[in-house]
Amino acid sequence: MAMRDLVTGGAACAVPGTSSPSNPFGALANAILGSSSKAQELKGLPEASVNVPGSSPDFRPEAPLTTFPGSEYENQQHQQLDSRNSEFLYGFRSANHGLEDAWDEIHRPPILPQARGREGESHFAEFEQIYNHSGSSAIQPTWDGPPQRVLSSFLHSFVDSGRAGIPFRPAVLPVLGLSEGDKQCIRDRSCIMARHIFVDKSEEYISAQVNALLHSLDIDGDRQIRGPMHDPFPELEEHWNKSQSALKSGMPNSADRWVTEFNQQREHGDPEAWAYSFEELHGADGWASEFEKEQSQMASVGQIRGGNMSNTAAMEQSRMLAHTLAQNTDPKFQNSKFLQFVSKMGRGELIVDENQIKPATGSISADWADEYQTQYNFRPNSWADQFVHEQLSQGMDKWVDEFAKEHQQQGVDDQWVDEFSKLHVQDWAEEFGQQVSEGAFGDSSADNWADAYDKYLDEQVLASKQRSNTSSQVYVFSDMNPYVGHPNPLKEGQELFRQGLLSEAVLALEAEVLKNPDNAEGWRLLGITHAENDDDQQAIASMMRAQQVDPTNLEVLLALGVSHTNELEQAEALKFLYKWLQNHPKYGVLTPPEQVDSLHYASVARLFNEASQMSPEDADVHIVLGVLYNLSREYDKAIESFQAALKLKPHDYSLWNKLGATQANNIQSADAILAYQQALDLKPNYVRAWANMGISYANQGLHEESIRYYVRALSMNPKADNAWQYLRISLSCASRNDMFEACDSRNLDVLQKEFPL
Amino acid sequence: MPVFKTPFNGYAVRFSPFYEGRLLVATSQNFGILGNGRLHVLEIDPASGALAELRSFETADGIYDCAWSESHDSLAVAAVADGSVKLWDASLPPAANPVRSLHEHSREVHSVDWNPVRRDSFLSASWDDSVKLWTLDRQSSVRTFREHSYCVYAVAWSPRHADVFASASGDRTARVWDVRDPRSTLVLPAHDHEILSCDWNKYDECSLATASVDKSVRVWDVRAPRAPIANLAGHGYAVRKVKFSPHRENILLSCSYDMTVCMWDYRAEDALIARYDHHTEFVVGVDMSVLVEGLLASTGWDELVYVWQHGTDPRAMP
Repeated sequence: MAMRDLVTGGAACAVPGTSSPSNPFGALANAILGSSSKAQELKGLPEASVNVPGSSPDFRPEAPLTTFPGSEYENQQHQQLDSRNSEFLYGFRSANHGLEDAWDEIHRPPILPQARGREGESHFAEFEQIYNHSGSSAIQPTWDGPPQRVLSSFLHSFVDSGRAGIPFRPAVLPVLGLSEGDKQCIRDRSCIMARHIFVDKSEEYISAQVNALLHSLDIDGDRQIRGPMHDPFPELEEHWNKSQSALKSGMPNSADRWVTEFNQQREHGDPEAWAYSFEELHGADGWASEFEKEQSQMASVGQIRGGNMSNTAAMEQSRMLAHTLAQNTDPKFQNSKFLQFVSKMGRGELIVDENQIKPATGSISADWADEYQTQYNFRPNSWADQFVHEQLSQGMDKWVDEFAKEHQQQGVDDQWVDEFSKLHVQDWAEEFGQQVSEGAFGDSSADNWADAYDKYLDEQVLASKQRSNTSSQVYVFSDMNPYVGHPNPLKEGQELFRQGLLSEAVLALEAEVLKNPDNAEGWRLLGITHAENDDDQQAIASMMRAQQVDPTNLEVLLALGVSHTNELEQAEALKFLYKWLQNHPKYGVLTPPEQVDSLHYASVARLFNEASQMSPEDADVHIVLGVLYNLSREYDKAIESFQAALKLKPHDYSLWNKLGATQANNIQSADAILAYQQALDLKPNYVRAWANMGISYANQGLHEESIRYYVRALSMNPKADNAWQYLRISLSCASRNDMFEACDSRNLDVLQKEFPL
Repeated sequence: MPVFKTPFNGYAVRFSPFYEGRLLVATSQNFGILGNGRLHVLEIDPASGALAELRSFETADGIYDCAWSESHDSLAVAAVADGSVKLWDASLPPAANPVRSLHEHSREVHSVDWNPVRRDSFLSASWDDSVKLWTLDRQSSVRTFREHSYCVYAVAWSPRHADVFASASGDRTARVWDVRDPRSTLVLPAHDHEILSCDWNKYDECSLATASVDKSVRVWDVRAPRAPIANLAGHGYAVRKVKFSPHRENILLSCSYDMTVCMWDYRAEDALIARYDHHTEFVVGVDMSVLVEGLLASTGWDELVYVWQHGTDPRAMP
């Protein structure tokens, strides 16, 4: 249950995009580049700044350091025992006495306890010894090891895939020259961590994830992976023995070896060492040929790529499981910078070139990636699903066609997209191959490759450079719209909306705005419809179009403010809410005109509080305050504001839904259900509220109940992909695996019979 | 309340037992999968209330855990992913540190804990399935405890008995040990999934909490290990760490891959007292101050360290 549900009545949701305050790409690049420059930074690590008192007044008083020689201590212990505890400690007492002696001997204090706690100087006496022993011989860290920046991105995406539940799809990566020790680290650590993160997932899924990572790093995944724990005890012994023997034979003294490898690496004395070693292995064109290979493999159906990672069954498995995890609609998960990064790296839209992370095809393509990214994030199950599905069944070409088709209708703004999509991937690969064979690529093939590609797109690049900030909010039209040519699609759309046939309403309203692109009301309704239909990306794109046509429309501004709040994009949200205030005939006077660049939460909240004092009977102001309090997560206040608004506007079903969503955020699922019920009483075909009810029941662990609500929602809008996935999770939680088939085949008759409401 | 941004992903945080506002924070690059580590000594500036760095120390591999010495106010021990256990003296410049590097574990060291009773020894738990006992005056470990059959993720000294400790492992057991005995005293099959953390009740010497990948925290009476006293459900992903309050017998703090920190009263019917979701990535380190009741600290993979008073919003700015 997420804040995004706030959106439902009359607002759109989210466009993250480039305007987001925490641009994930920038943040990540910073993180990676920042860390890679650490070697220099380190050498000049500042000496000063600490003044830890040698002996301080609040040094823990008089506590003896090692007071008790063991035997005395033990006697004392025994005396303290009461009969209750003696059984518990029985085992301790019956310890082997040889060992006990050794332990006791250790505890004989080298200095008298009394001498220590008091004199400041002397309490470090013991340590002088230590310093003398080891001060200079302490291990010096090796900083310039493997190309961590390259890895960084990969590891990020790997970890992220755990979070997002997206199958980790590795990009083609230059050989990194990782030492065996590094590989062992990555292999083991990623395995062990994966088992923590993917707790609900099958072993196959985890293997698929880890193998994808390892394969892309050119690490042999099958070797010496620290396996999972299967059944407790007997197998453990076996496992232990196996892993021990593997360690012994495979990596005698692995730690030393790691150090050796590492030092070898260092002896190159060259940060580009990995590049050399790559060239040694593959020649200058190695990467390119690797790419070609990859390309052809991707084009063929179900071809097994490197080990067991992508055999069809495993991929299918991953996909299913990924969907399950992707159900986490918590905005924190949705907004995770890992999540936003993973798809890009996974699809090779970012490449590592020398010491920088670059978008694979220049800035434009990054925008495209952003857009795809957003879509991918917010509709994790439609587009991506389709992609995977089609990749499996029909190969790449089909996907490209699909993509092209989808984008051809986007109008003038999107020429570059069209252009891009016309580039048939196979053709492009040929082109690429040709250039390779002509020796077009020099040493730094990745860079040249990007250049060449940039050139190829030259005109489009120039033409669209200015639009980088808006391209993520491009509205994507459906194909095959039966309402094109309808005499009054707007009216038709409104009627369909009223009936709750949201997907149909979308088509009608799309027909309207295709006919009248300057119809702000058409765009606004389209936005609301998408929001209620749980398609947030499209909703915000529509609202942005509405705002372009009618920049001062209060409803649109409010909707955009709410949407950005749903996505926790505070700056954007404040911008639109502030504009709402500015353009409001009554409250405009409250806003000083020059302030719009730097908005602070506190000042905007203050303005709205002033407005609410000015006219306490204006429900809209209370609504905005409720939204603002959601932004600052003051849910109690938000609930109060919405309740105040509801006193004034008790028949606003979307307001009831907002209240419900806020209560759900505030972990008041039971109250939330009451609020949703109010919304449904007012609008019985309010699909999203039915689905929200289901979510709230699921949150309370009432999975059987939640199923009934999802089924009801789906019976009204069978195209609500998200609800199908919620349903599947609840079926699984309620152990109704017998209904999976009906769910997967979307057989509503069966489901409605089985789960009547 | 104070926030501090660390360059790497946070892994562990510990309040100093000597100074109210002082903290130790262990961090690792790339989530600890590969890269460097850094140990931060932070202090809340009494005037501004902000968290400032007193010192930081670097390692060539990630740092997974850290603990203050209970005997020396500037001494700290760190669990390093390269298998070493390092001792640092915050009163000395980085050049003189680490004052010790103890390299015996063959795999990543995941947890360290300083003996709060005897104060002269500490334990390390490693992915090599072993726990090792160390003292300050020896260059090699005093004892190695090998019984777990998978990674040992956590180790915790009893706050009452100088020789008793508990360990938590991926072999789905927690074990109770006496350092004088090479075999464990109790094997507690506490969860059906890997166990990532354990801690002793500070007021009830028989009460042990475990936290698991199965998303639950359980409280056990080690004298009656057949069933938990309490099963605390509420986290949405694996629970990474659990700590008993130093001040209240019934209170526990836990953090999870679900990005939240939860406070529990394990004896209450409605056990979940508070849920803090101030982090935006996995939360992997939490601690409760011994010196200031209700003062909490957390760190996570969003590279932020928060210190706040229970009941307040960790993100609220002073």
